[in-house]
Amino acid sequence: MENEVFIKAENLSYAYEEDDGTPQKAVLRGVSLEIKKGEYVAILGHNGSGKSTFAKLLNMILVPDSGRLWVAGHELTSETFDEKELLEVRRKIGMVFQNPDNQLVATVVEEDVAFGPENIGVPSKEIRERVDKALETVGMTEYARHSPDRLSGGQKQRVAIAGIIAMMPECMVLDEATAMLDPVGRREVMDTVDRLRAEKGITVLNITHHMNEAVRADRVIVINDGKIYMDGTPDQVFARAKELEAVGLEVPQCTALIDALREKGVRIEGKSTTPEACADLLTRFLKKS
Amino acid sequence: MSEIKLENVSYVYSEDTPYEKRALTDVTATIKSGAITGIIGHTGSGKSTLVQMLNGLTRPMSGRVLLDGKDIWEDPKKISDVRFRVGLVMQYPEYQLFDETIRADIAFGPKNMGLDKEEIERRVLEAADFAGVDREWLDKSPFDLSGGQKRRAAIAGIIAMRPEILVLDEPAAGLDPAGRKNIMEGLCAYRDKTGSSVVIVSHSMEDMAQYCDDIIVISDGRVIAQGKKEEVFSQSDLLRSVGLDIPQITLVMRLLADNGINVNTGVYTVEDAVNEIYKLI
Repeated sequence: MENEVFIKAENLSYAYEEDDGTPQKAVLRGVSLEIKKGEYVAILGHNGSGKSTFAKLLNMILVPDSGRLWVAGHELTSETFDEKELLEVRRKIGMVFQNPDNQLVATVVEEDVAFGPENIGVPSKEIRERVDKALETVGMTEYARHSPDRLSGGQKQRVAIAGIIAMMPECMVLDEATAMLDPVGRREVMDTVDRLRAEKGITVLNITHHMNEAVRADRVIVINDGKIYMDGTPDQVFARAKELEAVGLEVPQCTALIDALREKGVRIEGKSTTPEACADLLTRFLKKS
Repeated sequence: MSEIKLENVSYVYSEDTPYEKRALTDVTATIKSGAITGIIGHTGSGKSTLVQMLNGLTRPMSGRVLLDGKDIWEDPKKISDVRFRVGLVMQYPEYQLFDETIRADIAFGPKNMGLDKEEIERRVLEAADFAGVDREWLDKSPFDLSGGQKRRAAIAGIIAMRPEILVLDEPAAGLDPAGRKNIMEGLCAYRDKTGSSVVIVSHSMEDMAQYCDDIIVISDGRVIAQGKKEEVFSQSDLLRSVGLDIPQITLVMRLLADNGINVNTGVYTVEDAVNEIYKLI
């Protein structure tokens, strides 16, 4: 199970169409990659790089123009792929989008979380259990009977995530899910993701502009101009600051600090992508010198 | 140039209904002339209501808004004059573009001010430059631009009125790092070249620490701290208790100090941190 491939893309391309049906410049141009079951992957790229388009191909909100795509053992691009398989794929991949206000449908938190399982015909007793558990996982049990419109942005996103967990997906895709949140809201969502991974071993794709979030993933994929530009661990990717800057991205402040010291000729070894790692590295270095 | 003072301003949404929500309570704050002022606060803290007070889009239920010492609501019929002097860019302004070309859209404000054609054209180009709008986009339809490009065009539309006070509600939300930097640097250039004041609402502590002079912190509709950014960001416990944080680089310096390294913890940019640590080596 460990090394089972969950998502496999082969040479995927996609172009949006003009109103009259003529294709625009392709936003994805031959993307090939494999994501294993249980992996935590951050996807970075400037606005318009194609990263959200890629996410929308995974549950067939969009259909690729060419190439092949497999998700959870189903080939989405196969001739025989049918409606039944599509529902199954959508059940296995849950998506969380940017604006929390566009994702909640019910007037009571627990009803919102129950909406997904109800739609896929889960027996009502089991729905109750799933909803309670999902709210517990995201730390929102005490708000079960509240109205969503009184919640903070971070709380709303956690309810949206609970709605997805209640569907028991194998994979969760966050498409800039923290872009509208304050610092604590961002942390709440990211901590929830960590917990989900620890408890359920769920595969996570986090599409983000926040480098501080990307460092929490196992693997970072950078998409540029519709193609894969970098693919590696956070340490490997953030070691290439100049190349990241060239495509409109940046490294975390902690990494930039160590890089700048090295550029001034300071011989400091090791990597730093988080404040804690950075402070440790500097402390050891300063105490030695 | 111009200064805005809020004096004991309060505002309640849906007053006397079950949905009553106190958005602002007894807010007293100063937006200093020629400064870049950051407003930070958790989601739902009242930041957006506060900025809507600054140009008279929302009228306080009690308290006063003073523009250069004069109550902007003294004569409500003249409130549109205030809106030319205090330009407000709302959240996700790209959804508000409406004209056939970017040029016409940016020109809308100056046209309403009754400026002549030449002056309007001059303003459009000037605003485009500050906001990072490529001159080649000017004759395009808003539909042909990306989200980030549209955002800049919408900001240019307000700058074209050359407001004495430019107010922006989360101008860089949802943009990639290069897009953020481009917009923030453009706003600094606008302040530097025109002497206007700039007010920015943001959730990015790093951006606020890097670009602002003053910071106003609001929580649950009340101002809980305001002053120079150095004073505000030195109160990390207070900030964290209200859903905010200190910049990552400042946190590194504090951790170093905790580890017994003798560093200045009042550091808010990577550049300053580099210099501070380099001194110790």
